[in-house]
Amino acid sequence: MARSGLLTRAPDAPAGGGRVARRDRRRARWPALALVYAVLTVSCLAAVIPFMYVVAAAFKDSAALFSYPPELVTWPPYLGNFTALVTEHPFGRWLLNTVVVTLTITVAKLLIDSLAGYAFAKLDFPGREPLFVALIATLMVPFAAIMMPLLQMMQGAGLVDTYWALILPPLANPIGIFLMRQFIEGLPGDLDNAARMDGCSELAIFRHVVLPLTKPALTVLAVLHLLNQWNSFLWPLVVTRSQDMQVLTVGIASLKGLLRADWGLIAAGALLSMVPLVVLFVLFQRYFVAASLFGAVKE
Amino acid sequence: MTAGTDAGLRGAAAAERRRLARRSRWRRYRVAYAFLAPALVLWALFLLVPVVSVGGLTFFEGGFLQERTFVGLRNWAGVLGDTVARSALTNTIAYTVAAIALVFLVGGGLALLLARAARGGALLRTLLYLPVLAPMVVASLIWLFVLHPDFGIVALALQAVGVTPVNWLGDHALAAIVLLEVWRGTGFYAVLFLAGLLSLPKELYQAAALDGAGRWRRFVHLTLPLMRPTLLFALVFGTISNLQIFDSVYVLTGGGPGTDTATIAWYIQQSIFTFNKPGYGATLSFLLLVVTLVLSLAQFRLLRDRRRRRMR
Repeated sequence: MARSGLLTRAPDAPAGGGRVARRDRRRARWPALALVYAVLTVSCLAAVIPFMYVVAAAFKDSAALFSYPPELVTWPPYLGNFTALVTEHPFGRWLLNTVVVTLTITVAKLLIDSLAGYAFAKLDFPGREPLFVALIATLMVPFAAIMMPLLQMMQGAGLVDTYWALILPPLANPIGIFLMRQFIEGLPGDLDNAARMDGCSELAIFRHVVLPLTKPALTVLAVLHLLNQWNSFLWPLVVTRSQDMQVLTVGIASLKGLLRADWGLIAAGALLSMVPLVVLFVLFQRYFVAASLFGAVKE
Repeated sequence: MTAGTDAGLRGAAAAERRRLARRSRWRRYRVAYAFLAPALVLWALFLLVPVVSVGGLTFFEGGFLQERTFVGLRNWAGVLGDTVARSALTNTIAYTVAAIALVFLVGGGLALLLARAARGGALLRTLLYLPVLAPMVVASLIWLFVLHPDFGIVALALQAVGVTPVNWLGDHALAAIVLLEVWRGTGFYAVLFLAGLLSLPKELYQAAALDGAGRWRRFVHLTLPLMRPTLLFALVFGTISNLQIFDSVYVLTGGGPGTDTATIAWYIQQSIFTFNKPGYGATLSFLLLVVTLVLSLAQFRLLRDRRRRRMR
């Protein structure tokens, strides 16, 4: 029996031999397979159609949404929603804030997490195990439950409505330390030991031996933090006051609260705030899936 | 005498060696702690301190606009007698149970189908994953275009076949929010389950098939037990994240109509900002913390792999 099909075949596909038998089975199976593809196609449509509808709405005057019979696409496309977003609302400022906060947190977390992950994976010190267990245990703490004390802390420090307040608390999340430790632990031990024999300092080993090898894990981690921060809503909502400090999610959510909902504007805002994520997804698709799978595999 | 001096010298040398070893050990520890310092300081300050202090804050009121005052158990008495808090708790749990059940069923079903779709699988996976990319706030805004009674996709589709549209956000608001999570979350769980399915040992399935085990028996006796770690992770992850539901409630319903979609996280935010009762918010926060910890630890205990334990 050919083994070539193993990787592509479903795990529960029956084993069997012979080309003829396989052809017969395939013939017997094709209605079932057609059903599989039919269900999957319908599900994909359900996933995608809302996006397409919102894209269409973003290029429509809001009044056109209510026209009867409904017109699905207006031609020529109406661009007023996008100009309104930039001229009547500080969309550019929201975007800038989100980009600054997201990038700062991501870069800082990559450094902090890989340093700590290296220590937990390769260095020996008293309290290593209990500390690590404590870190992992706090992964279960829901952010909404510590929001109030954090807010009080920020107010006490006079940091409310500043970049500091947006950036500092998210840096506490220990998930990246966990990821980096798992990855660095899996690296061959000889390399850093050899460097240690040669008298390299731990910092030099980390910088020149370990860090270059962790690029895949760092990419996964970067994607994880980028997604988390871009999506973040509750904390930026409660810790900012002025429109100038609002991030994208808070800004576009405020569009819905306007006196008279401008649906075209809302659609345009939703669409624009997703564009960077979709571009990133197309470029780094592999790592996105790894970022969401991380943990499941490590259980 | 020489022997004595020798012993003394040897002793001194050993002591010196020990001293050096100790010093180099402490130098090594110092290096390790230096590597850990940034992470541990941030973690302690912005995660550990808030977790530990939230319990104490339940005995106070004020602190934002007014002076902070000690109120004893008044916040706790308030929460126990508060019908909004009660419906926030039941709504949150009902939402979490319904969302996880649906997302497991649909995501699991799609994963089983994706495992059989060798051709075009990558494209199908990507399309299914697209909603996961939408931030919850954006997904909620998109959901308005799906459910709006005048121009929503569902309303247009129902009109086309002559059925009167439903006012989702008025009459079935909690269901609407559950369905949003199903739309946005299914792709994530499907990809997660698919990765688990594809890593299962194929030899077992071949052996089971040779022994005459049908598709259903293979699913119940092989797939489900083997997938236990993935399922457990998805369950705990789903529980922790769904119990915090806030974004979609804030954007779509504002807790309404009435208190139909009030959730704990939403009520925490409202207590602090709308009602100016941060101590009350802290009490609700403590409640959320306890509910989350109890539920996720219970899941770990119930679903831990019993067979592996027996083998040890």
